[in-house]
This record gives sequence, C-alpha cells and structure tokens, in this order.
Amino acid sequence: MLLLGLTLPWQASASAPDDGAALVRALARPAPARTAFAEARFMAVLEQPLVVSGEMAWLGGDKLERRVDKPRRETATIADGEVTQQRDGKKPRSFSLKRAPQLQVLVDSFVALFGADAVRLRQAFTLEHGGDAAAQWTLTLTPRDARVAKTVARIRIDGYGNEPRCMQMEEADGDVAIDLLGPLAAKMPPAPTREALAALCRGG
Amino acid sequence: MPLRARIALLLGWLLALAGLGLLIAQRLQVSTDLRSFMPAPATPDQRLLMEQVGEGPGSRLLLLAIHGKSDGELAALSQALAARLKGDPRYAQVLNGSFDLAALDPRLLPYRYLLSPTLDHESMDADFLADQLQQRLDDLSSPAASLLKGLLPRDPTLEVLKLAERWAPPKSPQVREGVWFSGQDEALLLVQTVAPGFDPQAQQQAIDGIEQAFHALPGSAGATLAFSGPGYFSVVANAQTRAQADWIGRISTVGFIVLLLFAYRSLSSLLLAALPVASGALAGIAALTLVYPQVHGITLAFGFTLLGVAQEYPIRVLSHRRAGEDAVRSVRALWPLLLTAIASACIAYLAFYASGVNGLKQLAVFTIVGLLAAGFSTRYLLPRLLPARVRDVADARWLIAARRFVDRLPRPRWIPLLVAAAAVLMLALAPGPFWQNDLAALTPLPKDLLQRDARLRASLGAPDIRYLLILQADSADGVLAMSERLEPEADALVARHVADALELPSRYLPSIATQRARQTKLPDQATLQQALAQALQGLPFRHDLFAPFIADVAVARTLAPLTPQAFAGSPLGQRLAAMLVQRDGHWLGLGTVSGLHDAAALQAWAERSGGAVRLLDLKGAAESLVASYRTRILRALGVATLLLVLTISVALRSLRRAWHVLAPMTLATFLVLAVERAMGIEVSLFHLVALILAAGLGLHYALFFERDTGDPAEQRRTLHATLVCVLSALLVFGMLAWASIPVLRAIGLTVSLGVAFHFCLSILMAPHAGQGDA
Repeated sequence: MLLLGLTLPWQASASAPDDGAALVRALARPAPARTAFAEARFMAVLEQPLVVSGEMAWLGGDKLERRVDKPRRETATIADGEVTQQRDGKKPRSFSLKRAPQLQVLVDSFVALFGADAVRLRQAFTLEHGGDAAAQWTLTLTPRDARVAKTVARIRIDGYGNEPRCMQMEEADGDVAIDLLGPLAAKMPPAPTREALAALCRGG
Repeated sequence: MPLRARIALLLGWLLALAGLGLLIAQRLQVSTDLRSFMPAPATPDQRLLMEQVGEGPGSRLLLLAIHGKSDGELAALSQALAARLKGDPRYAQVLNGSFDLAALDPRLLPYRYLLSPTLDHESMDADFLADQLQQRLDDLSSPAASLLKGLLPRDPTLEVLKLAERWAPPKSPQVREGVWFSGQDEALLLVQTVAPGFDPQAQQQAIDGIEQAFHALPGSAGATLAFSGPGYFSVVANAQTRAQADWIGRISTVGFIVLLLFAYRSLSSLLLAALPVASGALAGIAALTLVYPQVHGITLAFGFTLLGVAQEYPIRVLSHRRAGEDAVRSVRALWPLLLTAIASACIAYLAFYASGVNGLKQLAVFTIVGLLAAGFSTRYLLPRLLPARVRDVADARWLIAARRFVDRLPRPRWIPLLVAAAAVLMLALAPGPFWQNDLAALTPLPKDLLQRDARLRASLGAPDIRYLLILQADSADGVLAMSERLEPEADALVARHVADALELPSRYLPSIATQRARQTKLPDQATLQQALAQALQGLPFRHDLFAPFIADVAVARTLAPLTPQAFAGSPLGQRLAAMLVQRDGHWLGLGTVSGLHDAAALQAWAERSGGAVRLLDLKGAAESLVASYRTRILRALGVATLLLVLTISVALRSLRRAWHVLAPMTLATFLVLAVERAMGIEVSLFHLVALILAAGLGLHYALFFERDTGDPAEQRRTLHATLVCVLSALLVFGMLAWASIPVLRAIGLTVSLGVAFHFCLSILMAPHAGQGDA
C-alpha cells in the first residue's frame, strides 16, 4: 500500500484506492474547523525554544486564522494571499503569502487536509504515508515547488485514527516548529526538547 | 542635346543625389528633444522649465499596469518584470510595491542609523533594546518569522524596514500577493527612466525595452501591459501624428501624380520634375548635417513644409514650354521671374536665421539651401533632360476659355479695401484668445488614455507633472537642511488635504547636521555591548547572535555623513539626484506634488515661506516660453517682410509693380488669419509657419500674374502653371485640413485657405491684361 502511494503520487484519489487518500478523507472537517495548538520553535537564533499557544482555525476556502493567546495575544489571518498580523495596541501589519513560503505550505496543507482535497494536497506536496491507517499514523509532506522547498524542507503530521495530534515543520536551515494539536496542546512541557515532543507525538 | 549626353547628365545628377543621401545617412542625427528647438529661456522659471522639461522627477516616470490574468499570475509577472528592469541601465528606479531590502545598497547598510529617524527620539540604551528584542521575539513566534529571521543578527531594531517604509511612495496603492494592485485588478509598477520625459525617441526605446522584457517573461501570454505617463504620451502623440501624416501623405501623393500626369501627359516629365525638389531636400539636409551636430525633428518637419514652394519651379517650367521649343530656351525666358521668386524667398528666410533661436536658424539653413538647390537645378539641369515637347498647353481649348473668363472678371479698385475692412472686422470680433500657447493642445491625447492616467496616477500616488516645489540654497546640504525644516509644514498641508502627498528631497537623505546628530547618539562599542547584555537578560536569544549589529553600529559611528554624490551610485541616490539641481553656484531642491486639491493653499504656503519655497507651475512657464518664442518668430517675420518689399521693388524696378505683387499677398495672408480667427481658431506656431508657406506660394502667383508679356499664349501658360500649382497645393494641404490631429489640421487648413485667397486676390488685383484678350 505504501508503495502504491509512492509510485502513483499524481493519481487522483478517486481512481486508485490508496490509503493516503483514505486518510485524507478521514481527516476532513466541515468549516470552520478549530483546534487548540501549542507550538515550540527550535531556532538557530535562540538558545531555548520559543513556546506559544492558542487556537488555529480553518474558516473555509483559503482562509486560515492563527490566534496566539500566550505569551502575548496576537492574531494572524491568512486570506486572499495576504497575511495580516494584529497585535494588541499596534497597527495591523500585512505582507504577502509569497514572501512567507512556510505559511503558504501551512495554508496548502491545512486547507487540503481539512477540506479533504487530496488533489490539491498532491499538487503541492509529495506524500509519504506510514503507520496504521486505523490507529497510529504519520503523513510526511514534501513541497514540490523548488522555491518553497528552499525554506520548508518537510511537514510531518502524526495522528491517531482520524485525529491529527502533532504537526512538525522542518525548515531548510534546520529550524523546527513542533505544534501539538487538540487535547495534546495542553501537554506542552514548560521547557520542551525535540526528543520529549517527538515522544509526545508518537505516544498515545 | 544628344541622347548620350542627356543620359550622362541624368546619371551624374542621380549620382550626386545618391552622394548627398550617403552623406546624410552617415552624418544625420535627428534630435527629438523639444528643448533644442526652443529659444533660450529668459526668466528663472523658464530656465528651470527648460532644465526640468523631461528631466524632472515626475516627468520621467512611467506608470505600468498589467491585467488580464489571475492576481497570483499578475503578481508573479510584476515581480519578474521588476527583476529584469532593475539590472537595465535605461531605468533609474523600478517600484512594484514589493518590499525590497536591496533598495539600500549593501555597502551603505551601516548608514541606516544615520538615515533612519529612530535616533531622533530614542537612544540606543538597554531599555530601548530590551523593548525591541521583546518585539523581535514576538515576531519570531509569528507567521512573519521567516521574513525577519535573516535580518535579526545585523538589524535587531529593523532600521532597514523603517527606511523601506519611509521610502515607499507616500500614498501607496493596495498590496495584494506582495505587489501593488489597482482597484481594477491590475498589477501596478512605477518605472523611472534615465531618458528625459519629452524626448519621444529615447522614451520609445525605454518603452520598447519594457515591452521586450515583459513579452520575454514566461506566462506573459494572455496578459496585457498598459503604459501611462508623460514619456509614453510623447511617444503616442508622435506616433499618432506620424501615422496620420503618412496616411494622408500617401493619398495626396497619388492624387498629385495623377494631377500632373493629367496636366502634362508625360510620365518622363513627371519623374524628372521630381528631381529638383529631391535635390533641394537632400541639399538642405546635407547642409544642416555639415553645420549642426544634431538636426531637430521639428526643423525637418517645418522645413519640408516650407520647401513645398520649390515644387512650383519645375511646374512653371513644364507649363511654359512651347511646342517644338527647346526647354532650355523656355526656361531662359522664365528665369528672371523665377529667380526673383527664389531670391526673395531666400532673403526673407534670412530673417529666421537672425532670430537667434537654434531651431529657427536650422530652419533657415535648410530652406535657403533647399530652395537654391531646387531653383538652380530647375534652371540648369532639368531643361537639358526634358523630352522634346510636341504639345503646347496654351492651345488647350479649356485653357483658352478659362483665360478668357479670368480676363473678363471685373477688377474694381475697391476690392482690396473691402477685403481689408472685412479682415479687420473679423479679427476684431473673433471669439476666444488670439494665440494658442499650449503646445500640448496641438497633439491632444485620446480621452481614455488621459482617464487611465488619472486613475493610475491616483491609485499609485504618482506625482503631478505640472507643479514642482522649488527649494533654493547655497549647497546641496543647505537644500536638504531646508527641506528637513519644511517637512513638518508639508506634512501638515497633507493632513489638511491640500495635496495627497508632498515629497521633499530630505525624504531620501537627511542633512549632514542631522546625520551627525544621530551619529553622536550612537553608543561606543563597550556601552552598546553592556546595554545589549542587559537587554538580553531573560530572553532566549543566543548570546553572540548580535555581533554583526555591534559591528555595524561601530562602523556607523565612524562614517563620514552620506552626501548626495556618494549616494548617487545606488538606485535611491538616483532618485534623490533627480530632486537636486545645481545652477549658477547655488542648489535647487525639487519637491514633487501628488494629487493637488488646493493649488491656492499651496501657493499661499510657498509665499509665506519668505522665499524658501516656490511653487513652479510648469504649464505656466511653458506657455510663457511659447509666447516669447512666438514674439521672436513675429519679429523675424517683420524683418522678412521688409526684406521682401525691398527685394521685389529692386527686382521689378518699380514701386507700382511691387505693389501689385505684394498687396494681394499681404492682404490674402491677413485674410487667412482673419477667417481662421473668425472660425474660433487660436493661432499657434504651426499656423504661423503655414502662413509663411502660403505667402511664399502667393508670391509666385502674384509675380506671374503681374508679368505683362503681352502674349496671350504666354498668359495662358501662366494660368495653366498657376492652376496646376494651386490644385496640387489644395490637394496636398486640403487633405491635411481634414486630419483629426490639430497640428496637421492647422497646417492643412491654413495653407489651403491661403492658396485659395492668394490665387483669387492675385487675379483680382492683377493689372488688366490689356490687349491680351484674344
């Protein structure tokens, strides 16, 4: 089954029953779909990871919202190719999605996953699917666009059943952002390490 | 003349023409820059206009709009086009709204602490740095992280972004997909050309370069690139005028050939008759290329118009030939009169040479050399080539009838008085202003182009090209210091909606004093390191991360302040250079005005500033320049008239005969002017030039009609020649009178009316042909 998914990456979900497509279908949510998240960023410029938490939402279409509640409230809205950041007491800032490829990746993966749009998912990424479709699974998305790949190396989503639990974005320069999703978000340790988070993502 | 000798002569003539052609091809440099045709400016505003026409920051700006595809594709095209144009030496600045860190030359990066206003109200201490670093930490956890990550070590206070914001156009359009978009889903770009705005040829090259770059882009198929801006308009006006002139020219040439074939029934005569005019034109241009390094396009256009007189010479020769008579003999009989006509025209044009205006001097050289070459080749070369004539036009039945009709016309003495009175009345009662000072009104642009320009200009916040704010000081730095002082007032005016934006030179570069003041606020290395260490407490940044920042601040402390000269190497410095002009030992700063709503308020502010700022209305200055130009032409015309009276009187050796030649000509000229004014036409430079041509033609009619040969057949030939001349002139210029472009219509209508009036008045005011009625 894994082989089939790898060798026929462009095949539409309807034409061949591969379990990646089945998983994508299983992950579908009606908009708006919201999930709590806690994110740890491991960056070369930082000695300790940066931890924020809040709520991510797919508002339907290409609209995403990422609201950070801690440590400081900030809302980022992604719509129509523009990212708008709103921070308390500051003027909103806007920039193009084009300038932030890792956000483009985020939009592509979220919209495709929540909207169960396997075609779009396969247009943006090569998919690698591992684990058990009914229980513990891992979906690895590698950007096809060379320009995007210069910034984002891959996205790895861990889940159980039809629930994604973790999302890990590896940037090309080695920086990593690990998001714990849903109920798991509450389990973010105060001083996370990559290993601890990886264990959280894998473990049930 | 034996056939072999004739062939040799023809070949020799053609060879000489080819030689002239070769000389011209090698040496001719046509300048299309309007300025070289203009007179030397007299007032300070005019001088500034001449320097600024096409050179000013606003007039070199091209506005580009791409549409016809999805936002994403248009944005990609906008980015790719901007990237291509940025390397091209033809363009000083390319803006498309994408935030561009490369706008500041990497070599100049340490200057950011002297250029950015941050240090005017902050000091780089632990508190400030702590606040900044906390904000950067928030940035790192935000979606913008990957944008800023790279800047962080060198520029933790994001001075580069503050400068980019400061240098973005004052009123930016909305940004979608990272680039500017208009409300009508077009991706927008601003391109500043290196070439002056009113040099159509150079602008054409700049526009072609953009078009080529655009069409070479993958994905450009299906998308449309539209231009606007002064440079584009000068190209459109040029192309439009040329296209219509060419189209009309082709039709009237065919008509002209048919007319001559009908009149002379000889193809070889017709072809040969073209040689004198060709000789005149080639000799005229060749003379210009030898005397002047550059020939102005308008000189050539005016010159060819005026050279139209020369077409009369061969026509006279062809009409005055008798059956069986040697052409050389016919010409000999005709020559004194023809020479009088040529000489008087040339002497009159000498007045233009004395005008002192380079464009008019060139015009004089071209026409005088051209007329002489055409005249003398008509006298000495053409007759030796013409085939033996068997038919005398004087025997044509219709001509006999026509001559009889003309001779029977009553010629009451009160006709001149009546015509003069009518002309005076019409001139007195004519509606509207007498003179047309707005040259742009002669080549108007299609309304949709102007509307698009207004729309793009409004959405891009691009500066108005009509108004400039002028700051004057002893040095470039003085201008910048003054500009800094004025900035708060200018901001207040913008806040009051006097204008959408006022852009002063200090926006791009602070004065040396300001840069020094900022520099002294930069802490020394030890102090900065200490402050940074304090600010970093409790923050997760790597402790050695900001070494590049510390190094840059250390460099910035020792930098010599940035001067416009040093800045000029970078694209933004080019932008600044366009706003600073050195003149007569002092410096001028040119501020631009965008979206002016209240010219009076801006003017009042300028007046209150006590001479520090002046509001220059380029349109007003241009009109005063045209007016002074016209004064020079009129003065030259006055002198030309005197010379003409003198030449004709001397040539005819009789004041009475001179009166018979000059009176109808003068009267007809004023009549044309009067009729056009009565039609509500405002008189422009082009009308004046056309009047001069018509007067030249009228001189011929009057001269030939006045000639009393006592030979009815010869009088019939005179009538024939004049009729052919009148009809051909009416054909060529009558066609032009129907043109939709005012400048062509001005020439066409004036010459057509002129030819008609000159013809009628020369007949009606000619002395009666005594016993001539056969």
